[in-house]
Amino acid sequence: MAIDSYRFLDFATRQLMKAWAAREDPGVIPFTPLARPLRECTVALLTTSGVARNDDRPFDQDGERRNPWWGDPSFRTIPLGTTEKDVRLYHLHVDPRFGEADLDVVLPMRRLAELAGEGVVGRPAPTHYSIMGYILEQKVLVGTTAPGIAARMRAERVDAAVLLPG
Amino acid sequence: MGLVQRVLEAGGIPTVALSMIPALTRAVGVPRLAGISYPMGQPLGRPHDADGQRAVLRATLDLLATASGPDSYVELPFEWPESPARARNASRNFPPPPIVELLKRKPWLLANLYTGRIPHGEG
Repeated sequence: MAIDSYRFLDFATRQLMKAWAAREDPGVIPFTPLARPLRECTVALLTTSGVARNDDRPFDQDGERRNPWWGDPSFRTIPLGTTEKDVRLYHLHVDPRFGEADLDVVLPMRRLAELAGEGVVGRPAPTHYSIMGYILEQKVLVGTTAPGIAARMRAERVDAAVLLPG
Repeated sequence: MGLVQRVLEAGGIPTVALSMIPALTRAVGVPRLAGISYPMGQPLGRPHDADGQRAVLRATLDLLATASGPDSYVELPFEWPESPARARNASRNFPPPPIVELLKRKPWLLANLYTGRIPHGEG
């Protein structure tokens, strides 16, 4: 691995991320081949930066402030066409100002539409997705939230998904 | 992010992840991963740099077409235009997250954060 994964992190965060990486066990990794060429695929995006529309329920920052071991494990849908004027970023661990200045920094729906125009992908899905990063208690996230997102993607005939960090 | 990716993939949806900490995401075990050396908060690039953002998204999407099996990993060649110190300095006014405030008061709980043994009733 030539990239230094810890280059932009402060010392304490770097040590923690290294310890977490050492604890992981990949086990059997799932793999689903693309069903059709990328240029024909409907593509959905998922950001872990905690984006929510201003007319939707905010992510629960106060819950995490009361119990820092907890993070809001729910998801929000972000319709195609939503811009930085329509949202806030609720992640408490990552500076939200970049994504709030330009939503494509974390959820590149306009860039995806441009790539569809160039014929790289078929089309952007009508719905994209947002969750909070830094969820230590992962039971709800893995058992409820992620299957809920998958079901919604299947209902919208999504052929591939791109996950983007906070 | 990696655990969610695994659920989507197992649910029949091909996925690719972009990660600024690819060593951690890869350790979780994901089907397709593109590593990038960009600072937290700006995974696709700087605000209003549409060309740069589009290049990162396109390079990430490419892995969907080229990967032939799980743990497919590429490192994207893009270079961040600032030093790490300068990039961190841009967020110096961003308040520390609640877990950091808690550990300042109760530093012995750091061991729980490292090992993932979440304490109950120690907020």
